[in-house]
Amino acid sequence: MDFSLDREQIAIQQAAEEFARGEFDPEAALEHDQLREFPSEIWKKACELGFIGVHIEEEYGGQGFGRLENAIIVEAFCRQDSGIGIALALSDFGSEMLLMYGSEEQKKKILPRIAQGKGIITVALLEGGYGLASFSTTLRKEKAGYVVNGEKSHVTLGGLADYLLVACQDDPDDTASQSVVLVENGARGVDVASMGEVVGMRMLPWNRIGFGLVSIPPENIVGEDGKGMAQVRDFLNEMRIEAGAMGVGIAQGALDMALAYGKKREQFGRTIVTFDAIRNKLADMYMETELARLVTYRAAWLFDNGNPEPRSALLAKAVGAKAAYRVTYDALQIYGGFGYMKEGHIERFYRDAKVLDLFLEPARVERGFLADEVAGKRA
Amino acid sequence: MEILNYTEQHRAFRERVRGFLEQEVIPYADEWEQSGIVPRSVWKKMGEQGFLCTGVPKAYGGAGADFLYSVILTEELTRTGCTGLAAPLHSDIVVPYISSFGSEELKKKYLPGCVSGDIITAVAMTEPDAGSDLASMGTTAVEDGDHVVINGQKTFISNGLNCDLVVLATRDPDVGNPYQGMDLYLVEEGTPGFEKGEKLDKMGWRSQDTAELFFRDCRVPKANRLGQKGGGFMMLMDKLQPERLVCAIMAVASAEHILELTIRHCRDKLDLGRPLLKGQGNQFRIVEMATEVKLGRTFIDKLIADHMEGKSVVVEVSMAKYWTTEMAQRIADGCMELYGCDGISEGFPVARAWRDARIMSIFAGTNEIMKGIAAKFMGL
Repeated sequence: MDFSLDREQIAIQQAAEEFARGEFDPEAALEHDQLREFPSEIWKKACELGFIGVHIEEEYGGQGFGRLENAIIVEAFCRQDSGIGIALALSDFGSEMLLMYGSEEQKKKILPRIAQGKGIITVALLEGGYGLASFSTTLRKEKAGYVVNGEKSHVTLGGLADYLLVACQDDPDDTASQSVVLVENGARGVDVASMGEVVGMRMLPWNRIGFGLVSIPPENIVGEDGKGMAQVRDFLNEMRIEAGAMGVGIAQGALDMALAYGKKREQFGRTIVTFDAIRNKLADMYMETELARLVTYRAAWLFDNGNPEPRSALLAKAVGAKAAYRVTYDALQIYGGFGYMKEGHIERFYRDAKVLDLFLEPARVERGFLADEVAGKRA
Repeated sequence: MEILNYTEQHRAFRERVRGFLEQEVIPYADEWEQSGIVPRSVWKKMGEQGFLCTGVPKAYGGAGADFLYSVILTEELTRTGCTGLAAPLHSDIVVPYISSFGSEELKKKYLPGCVSGDIITAVAMTEPDAGSDLASMGTTAVEDGDHVVINGQKTFISNGLNCDLVVLATRDPDVGNPYQGMDLYLVEEGTPGFEKGEKLDKMGWRSQDTAELFFRDCRVPKANRLGQKGGGFMMLMDKLQPERLVCAIMAVASAEHILELTIRHCRDKLDLGRPLLKGQGNQFRIVEMATEVKLGRTFIDKLIADHMEGKSVVVEVSMAKYWTTEMAQRIADGCMELYGCDGISEGFPVARAWRDARIMSIFAGTNEIMKGIAAKFMGL
């Protein structure tokens, strides 16, 4: 058993931390959060330096690294700034599905653009709930190709994405037959609308996307016709590890901030870090963060070593998001009234942590999936 | 047996308050969240209806009503989800300083306006460097003839922009012991040297005009002092019980309200073809939350009764403030989870309730301070 990162991984971690420290300006982050702006400039720089899409194989313009290296970068980014970190991490949301199931042509055409910062990809999955048994968005076969019809909600980066991977129902009567299709944003019939104000993860547009009889050629089917749900499950499984890494980063960042504040803030003639009330919180925060890091790294390592087991990925997301939530909660309490102010920055971490908790699926749904893993599916 | 004996008059009052808020507050709550302040005209309307400072004696324009009327107002206002109209702060926290400790002249001069809504009040204790540690405050009041000259800065002051009158905590730099050198002065808006800062940008309570206040060589008549010279700290301690009780009432009322909305949402919202409310896991989660809310309700109703009987329940009120405000956050959090992806959207009420809940374990004395007070009074 060896829990240490190798030299290359440590170098990646240091480079990512250095980049984040140098480029993620807190005041700019405050503004991006307030105005709901994607940090385009930082994203472009991150792409230039090879931080985005590191898991994409070299022949498709990436670095050919694994989930673990991806997790290390996402953690470092979110540690410095929850909002910018999440926004950058989700700019390649869906590249994993293309890597796993896309055709050679799809991969060659799209993946280099994602890694180079020339394009953004996202996945249109939810329809207002988490029920993944069937979709109301349909895919109908026509003479020359296919037609997509329906509406998706909660599509992150939907408005900025160039490529949309859309989960569709093949046949309304056959609940087991779904397909994922590639739709280029801007195609006729694609109608992107804002979902309005959101409580966290505000640097990404959250969109509702209507597909009004959108025609797509047969080569835009991603993976196998009719096997879409299994592909979506595999993709979500992989994404849970990344979400876990976001949680680890947010938690660590909040712990860093709370510790620095506690050492500086004086009350009753001494720094507040000398009080048990604060010290015990810091100890709890450390426990939560380390626990989340361990399960997330382990899930990533298992994935990279040919064992993408769902239970480990679920654990990473559930524990990671919960750690982010609890640690930011405590950090905000340590900050006191200042923590509730936008200028304190910690409230932004706290809001992003809460939305991370609901991202992909909320804990109650994760619990159900985990129960299936532990107790077996209900007959 | 009810813990609190609400009479027919109380119930009628609640109906009247609720009807008023449904017409005059709820339709505008979103607008006020955007503008970050509640218009003065609403305060005036509240006053006209007799909804402000119900406890002020009749001689000063009030109704001389019992504390249950304050409880009703606090609960009903909390249910609107509009945090900006901080009438409980005005009526039950700030104005009682004047009615309990003000001279006859001060009472005659200010109380009728507080009741009518012409005078909106704030209390200013917290400073950038003096939060939990109140005694370390740096705002000074130096005697000069019939006046004191005040210098210093206050922060996180609710009603900071709307206020016409501030109960200001200061210290006398000539008195060594900070607990004996503290005084409270009434400072009117417009007094030279008193300036209001910018509205503070907060995570929640966004319709509440929280601001900084600045005092530079601000001359205030000595006659504006509340109580005996040097009695400031004791007065603050005396009023903390009702202040924290009001916080706990707000916390429980907000938890009740958001849980009610969430149960309604789960009844309608379909997940895999059946309402969220039909899943056993979700049902149990709701039952657990409802249990916590009921525990909170029972606890605070008992404390309201004790408080009305004049009992000193400092320990219990500190416990209640700490426990109910954390409970309210657990409920808001659990409700967010039940809403799921809808919870992310500000279009549903749960997101705002969740943001608003977060400050409750910090304001009116952090929960760490609450535990400290309880520990001290329990003789630990």
